Amino acid sequence: MWRRFKRDRAGVVSAYVVIFFFAAALLAPVISWLYGKNPYTTYGIERPGLLNEFFYPAKPNGGIDSEFWFGLEPGLGRDVFTQLFYGMRTSLMIATATTVLCVVTGILIGVTAGYLGGRTDYFLGRFIDLLLAFPSQLSFVAFTPVVYALFVSPEKETPTYLRVITLIIVMWALGWMGLARILRGQVLSLREREFVEAAKVTGASPWRIIRKELLPNLWTPLLVQSTLMLPTFVTVEAGLSFLGVGIIEPTPDWGRMFAAGARHYENDITYMFFPGIAMVIFVVAFNLLGDSVRDAFDPKTKR
Amino acid sequence: MRNRGRLGAVGLAVGALLLSACSSGGGGGGGNGNEPPKGPDKNRADNYSLGTKADSTGPAPEVPGSKKGGTVNVLQRDAFTYLDPAQIYYADQLTVQMLYNRSLTSYKIDEKGQVKLVGDLATDTGKVSDGGKTWTYTLKDNLKFEDGTPITSADVRQAVERLYAPWATDGPLYIPQWLSGEGQEFRKALPDGPYKGKHLPASVLDTPDEKTIVFHFQQPHADTPYAVAMPNIGAVPAKGGKDTGKNYNTRPVSSGPYKIETLKAGKQLTLVRNENWDPDSDPIRHQYPDRFDIRFGVQEPDSGRRLLADRGSDKNAMSFSNAVTIEVGPSVKNDAGTTSRTFNEVQPYVDYMAINMRRIKDKKVREALAYALPNGQILGQLGGPNAGQIAGNLLAPSLAGWKDSDPFGKKAKPNGDPVKARALLKEAGKEGQEIVYAYPNTTEYQKISVVVAQALDKAGFTVQKKEIDSNNYSTEISKVNKKIDIHRASWGADWPVGSTVVPPLFHGRGVADGGQNYWLLKDAGVDAEIDRIKGITDVKTASGEWVELSEEILTEHVPGVPIFYNRQWSIWGSGLGGVKYHSVYGTTDPTGVFVK
Repeated sequence: MWRRFKRDRAGVVSAYVVIFFFAAALLAPVISWLYGKNPYTTYGIERPGLLNEFFYPAKPNGGIDSEFWFGLEPGLGRDVFTQLFYGMRTSLMIATATTVLCVVTGILIGVTAGYLGGRTDYFLGRFIDLLLAFPSQLSFVAFTPVVYALFVSPEKETPTYLRVITLIIVMWALGWMGLARILRGQVLSLREREFVEAAKVTGASPWRIIRKELLPNLWTPLLVQSTLMLPTFVTVEAGLSFLGVGIIEPTPDWGRMFAAGARHYENDITYMFFPGIAMVIFVVAFNLLGDSVRDAFDPKTKR
Repeated sequence: MRNRGRLGAVGLAVGALLLSACSSGGGGGGGNGNEPPKGPDKNRADNYSLGTKADSTGPAPEVPGSKKGGTVNVLQRDAFTYLDPAQIYYADQLTVQMLYNRSLTSYKIDEKGQVKLVGDLATDTGKVSDGGKTWTYTLKDNLKFEDGTPITSADVRQAVERLYAPWATDGPLYIPQWLSGEGQEFRKALPDGPYKGKHLPASVLDTPDEKTIVFHFQQPHADTPYAVAMPNIGAVPAKGGKDTGKNYNTRPVSSGPYKIETLKAGKQLTLVRNENWDPDSDPIRHQYPDRFDIRFGVQEPDSGRRLLADRGSDKNAMSFSNAVTIEVGPSVKNDAGTTSRTFNEVQPYVDYMAINMRRIKDKKVREALAYALPNGQILGQLGGPNAGQIAGNLLAPSLAGWKDSDPFGKKAKPNGDPVKARALLKEAGKEGQEIVYAYPNTTEYQKISVVVAQALDKAGFTVQKKEIDSNNYSTEISKVNKKIDIHRASWGADWPVGSTVVPPLFHGRGVADGGQNYWLLKDAGVDAEIDRIKGITDVKTASGEWVELSEEILTEHVPGVPIFYNRQWSIWGSGLGGVKYHSVYGTTDPTGVFVK
């Protein structure tokens, strides 16, 4: 399998790109230390001459120079280079955690429903229907302030870790159902197959059947779904930050940078350029990686 | 007067994602230039005066180059909540009502921006007697509603008396309160308004003949000529069942040069010529275009882009209150061709950072806050010097007798003075003082929260930032038991005299849920002083005293920190002429607009 993957050049390249993104995100503090700037200092409004009367970068190309490699943020005048890496860190951390939680929940519920069938399947199915019926964006908007009010005194600032946890929980609670549905369907068709019958006859426990017989056959939908899920959560998180219920200033956030870039594109296209291009590359690479990993797992589906 | 510009203007700009080549860059000089755009400041008190009877006589002087005919397209962000003059208080609606509604007096603005208050329905700005308590107005001849019925004193009485009805809560209520009692007390004088056949007694509001209206106030009120310029002191048909109370809002009867043709709620309003309007009776308005076609739901970046592009029907387009925002601002400024079709003027609105005086009891701490706040950086997040002008004191420059004072040195140090603030905090022994700072949760105000927190941190405060859903923001900040130390508040003068700013904002009576005394200032001395100045019968003396008092409030009590005076930056299509600034409403004046 590993050899098959290595032969797929697109897959290998996208793997490197994805690894680079995750590494850059994880190493954001190191990068910022080496580079000598941080994402919180408002250089532009502290040092005269960097921003113009509209508080846009005074230099061409979004204020790119030897000091600020990716230029300056309009308005606050923070350093875009470190903002981007810190922002990626925030977004990828939240999206990865949510994806892992969703995959685990999806497997648990989907396989249980599919394998046990009958009444369990019925009730789990209706539960999934119920959750699917929630308008997710609206629920996020309605739910998060309640959580904050519950855990934070009205006179204290909401700590960032609570915002992160809340975001992960709300996105998880309404994000796992699709995967569970798909896995349930797969398991439903698999459990009637001969190899499962054979395992049953030889006296294998349900746990062993799920682990050794069913799960290996579920890798393909799992990988495809989760590689789609992660970039989706990055964008959902961005959308929520945009609506003000996600991560708010001053915590750097990839999605919010992108949204702000869209607002300023007429006067400072450079500011949208870096987070935008980074996000496009990341999403494409991640999807290609998912594709080739699936191909490597399942030689029958050759393109 | 309430402004829904800035706070709402932060709209969700989900612009199209166009990735083209690299940008040409911001360019322009460095420095967070805090110098305001050039040109004379039209919003200055010396620009205001009371007009004579001759000034009040129509017709209005012709606008040079004007032509009749054509359609003026108007792009507006929000649909007008009210068309009924009784309920209008927001700047955009105050502007549109000028086209179809006339009040007893109105503001006449010449091309130089000089503002004169003149008689509109009335022949002059009013005759005073009984030591300032009685004001008499005489209606002009040949005034008609859109259906041709003459406007009489009974119709003016109707307009005033309907303000007593329980639904009339959203407009300014100066006149009924002056006639029948403060607060909501006045409603007891006529609980159902004029709708059940009852009227105010002649000792309060008298109409001795068809042309004369006499107001008998409980106290002397020197600024009555201004108060009767509010749109709800006009004429509403008393006879013929046209006044349907609350439902009058969908189809108010016109007394001005235009009448309502169609109203598609939330989408479009069209106004057409009112043939029964007599230009000889009107010193202010013209009737050049055939129609005004007003479209709602055009966000400010979009209206800015369309008007800048100046193509097709947008050539004949303008906006009453949409401003040029940061998205198109630099392009407008760099395009030399737009100078003849833009203006950027100071509005009567002031943005404050209110300090909760019930929680921050130490005056030194409040002074430290005043020194620490970075006015220039806050303004920068909203568009910089083109969006506003750093404020030094509590009153807008448009108020009569205004002085350019700056007790906390905000203009000299637009980024705040952390050294002085820290010293004051140390003196008070409150270093590390915790400050709960609430802000509306929008893109701009999140950014503002960054600069505010940073500046306060530097000055030695510990900031707790609390974001509030922007829809609930105004309710939350006007609660008496709010758990907030500082927050943004804004107020605009209804007319250019301090009496519409100081009493509503600083009198102890305003300390109530939903009141405008955001700082919860309750000081017997201030209250007594306000009551004393209210009794002064000469507007000019009173104006000076209001300025003195506001100065004293700011330095002696420090209830809040003035941040900036708003500016209105407007652009219109090249096919329109006669567009000018209305400095009292802070919007574009449509009364002299024509299609070239």
